[in-house]
Amino acid sequence: MESWFGRGWLQPPRKNSDVDVFFATAESLPHTPNPPLECNMNREPQPRPHRPLTHSLCLTFLLALSLSAAARAQSNPMDKEDVKRGNDTFQQSCAICHGTGARGGSGVSLVDSSLVRHDVNGNLIAPVVQEGRPDKGMPAFPTLTASQLSDIAAFLHARIVVTSSVESHGPVGGYQLKRLLTGNIEAGKQFFNGEGKCATCHSPQKDLAGIANKYSPVELESRFLYPPVDLRTATISLPSNQKVSGRLVHLDAFYIAIVDEAGWYRSWPTHAVKVEVEDPLSGHLELLSKYKDKDIHDVFSYLETLK
Amino acid sequence: MFSRIWKHSSRPALAAAPLLAVLLAATACAHAQSPQPKSFPSPVSDSWPTFNGDYSGRRYSALTQINKDNVKSLQLTWAFQTHAPKLKSTPLEVGGILYFTVPDITWAVDAKTGQKIWEFRRPSEGDHLGQRGVAYYNGRVYFGTPDAHIICLDARNGKKLWDVEIADVKFGYYISGAPLIVKDRVIIGTSGDETDIPHFLEALDWETGKTIWKTSALPKPGDPAASTWPNEKSMARGGGSLWMTGTYDPDLNLLYWGSGNPHPVLAGIVRAGDNLYTDCILALNPDTGAIVWSFQASPHDTHDWDAIETPVLFDADFNGKPRKLLAQASRNGYFFVLDRQTGENLLTTPFVKINFAKGIDAKGRPIPNPAKEPQPDGALVEGTANGGTNWMSPSFDPQTKLFYVNAQEGYGFWYLALGEDNLPADHQGGGSVSLVSTSVLLALDYQTGKVVWCRESGPGIGNAGILTTAGHVLFTGDVSGNLLALDPSTGAVLWHSRGGANMSNAPMTYQIDGHQYVLTGVDGVLYAWSLPSD
Repeated sequence: MESWFGRGWLQPPRKNSDVDVFFATAESLPHTPNPPLECNMNREPQPRPHRPLTHSLCLTFLLALSLSAAARAQSNPMDKEDVKRGNDTFQQSCAICHGTGARGGSGVSLVDSSLVRHDVNGNLIAPVVQEGRPDKGMPAFPTLTASQLSDIAAFLHARIVVTSSVESHGPVGGYQLKRLLTGNIEAGKQFFNGEGKCATCHSPQKDLAGIANKYSPVELESRFLYPPVDLRTATISLPSNQKVSGRLVHLDAFYIAIVDEAGWYRSWPTHAVKVEVEDPLSGHLELLSKYKDKDIHDVFSYLETLK
Repeated sequence: MFSRIWKHSSRPALAAAPLLAVLLAATACAHAQSPQPKSFPSPVSDSWPTFNGDYSGRRYSALTQINKDNVKSLQLTWAFQTHAPKLKSTPLEVGGILYFTVPDITWAVDAKTGQKIWEFRRPSEGDHLGQRGVAYYNGRVYFGTPDAHIICLDARNGKKLWDVEIADVKFGYYISGAPLIVKDRVIIGTSGDETDIPHFLEALDWETGKTIWKTSALPKPGDPAASTWPNEKSMARGGGSLWMTGTYDPDLNLLYWGSGNPHPVLAGIVRAGDNLYTDCILALNPDTGAIVWSFQASPHDTHDWDAIETPVLFDADFNGKPRKLLAQASRNGYFFVLDRQTGENLLTTPFVKINFAKGIDAKGRPIPNPAKEPQPDGALVEGTANGGTNWMSPSFDPQTKLFYVNAQEGYGFWYLALGEDNLPADHQGGGSVSLVSTSVLLALDYQTGKVVWCRESGPGIGNAGILTTAGHVLFTGDVSGNLLALDPSTGAVLWHSRGGANMSNAPMTYQIDGHQYVLTGVDGVLYAWSLPSD
């Protein structure tokens, strides 16, 4: 599937609102040749430092994900009134052959029907239902009203929508919590306080109090696995031996940019300064390479108790 | 059920054919550079007449005017604004004219100045995710549309000559790949991944658009490969889209094309088996469409590991023996080297850190680990949710003998979502969450898959393809906003510039009147770079 990767929402413009507000105060430093390559040459492939998504990237990503999930939940086409009515009629008259979800039984799948997919407001569906298809064993339903036929068509189009999925957001209506909660709460608590070292930075009574009410189950699970924020800070040692620290905005082979402690954006050629980066999320990254799936399910089940 | 997908529309009337032939003969005369690619295995040079430049997929140009010593002087010559969100197309250059696309729009542009010559607009329904380019043949331009048509235009003026429906947009079909011209045929594969459908590759007559052959990515009942599906129903809608452009070896008369993931995407539970011919490198006879051999990169894929990445063709020694090789850096994170005559697997090795497989089978195929398939309560998988690489074009440089690929590393979390009936509720049958991802440019030794050098590209994922040239320069972009010219032997930066966003297509090059140009797309803008004239 090409859509997962190519969608714009996965790669929002790397725009940082802070950068837009402030103007650059980069110090002028002499240009020297490019720095040496950054990655470990002895890889087969060897582990490399994973850098998290940038702050703006992550927030936009999360926002898109959340909005998208919310939008999908709110706009579940099966919740529309005409679709609900159509569902009732369909179950009474059609489901016995075409299946309760219209995906086929002794009769054909209507979700995969060319006629249904080309129908507009019942213009193709209604005549078939009213007149039947005696040659294929489908009876006629002459007593169904125009309104009922329209509702059946709406139901079938809604079924096409909910059984289609262009991206990997998960099913319309979300995941069933009961299928996610397979972990052992006590084991999760032990991992949190022990091997996972989560308690080093987090407390169920403080920053995690009520966390299960704040996020949907899937959001909570992905957030504890790797929070979608960039909290990296950098300390820049200038040629004058002056040190400047702040939130990291950009770092590549050519320039580094931070927002300093006074709130000003500043940037320098990377080769001209010494850079030390600190990432408070490094513990989360480290755990990704250590987790067993059971650990994750246990911790998730424990965190879901923090309501 | 899928009868409409075989229907074609608005073909030219037969009576018009003689007139058309006269017109085209005139066009061909005026446009002497009719570029049926003849450059394999010698590299493309002055022009860039196919999506990959030539048939080999190496994206290696013989041009040397811009070279390792002078590329630091590269400067902007012109820019062309498409006003589109993202230019994914690799432009073609034929006779001084560039041809490129975004969904619904095709342009012809002066390759020396960036002046628009014509544009063709055709608003359509369907998936507008991307359009990766056109094909050119005998004065005609061919491209696909979001509603799964192939359009043929007069290259002189953009006038439509014919419009053929390839598949039914109502089932989610669209066309995003650039067609490939082989032996007077326009060859195109279908895209589409929103509902469970069968995909196929089709060859059309270049002149009329008439179907010559059509090959499904799924076996027919009775085919031995049908035993890799649990039943005919799942096989009939089993996916395998062919959404990128293939390659061709004229000497072997074999066409190579990668196929995509099976349907439903993540819920392998309803399609037990290897699910041929999804996630395969296919070798086909271009005369008949028959599958001559296949190599499956991801048997029973449950992670959307499309094997559509370019099958790159080159002749080189392998273990001391000269071989006709095919190499692919596949989305599942494995680097495969095959004998392209027989399909024999010579090498399978990961180029990024991945853990979805528990080993390699006797045929060189990864063995999926059931524990790392999407699970109802989620499974953590090392490797980004988007794969170890994707559609961004790789390159093979015969000078360095290195295979270059823009790769991605990270972690994803994968859910299986079934309804109360234990069947997937939708076409995905689950979902994935990308936890963290970083990009890196890798230079691989094709005989071992070992990384000779690598360059951090930045956090996140990108689209930039790669071009190498006889001038000993590698052009690409990173995901930190840089357009780059690198030393292909070491990865050292020779030149860089910031284009305002990340590179969104694959760079290409051509030479006109003794002046070499390198083109890079950045979101909606196409930039042309060259050396100062003086």
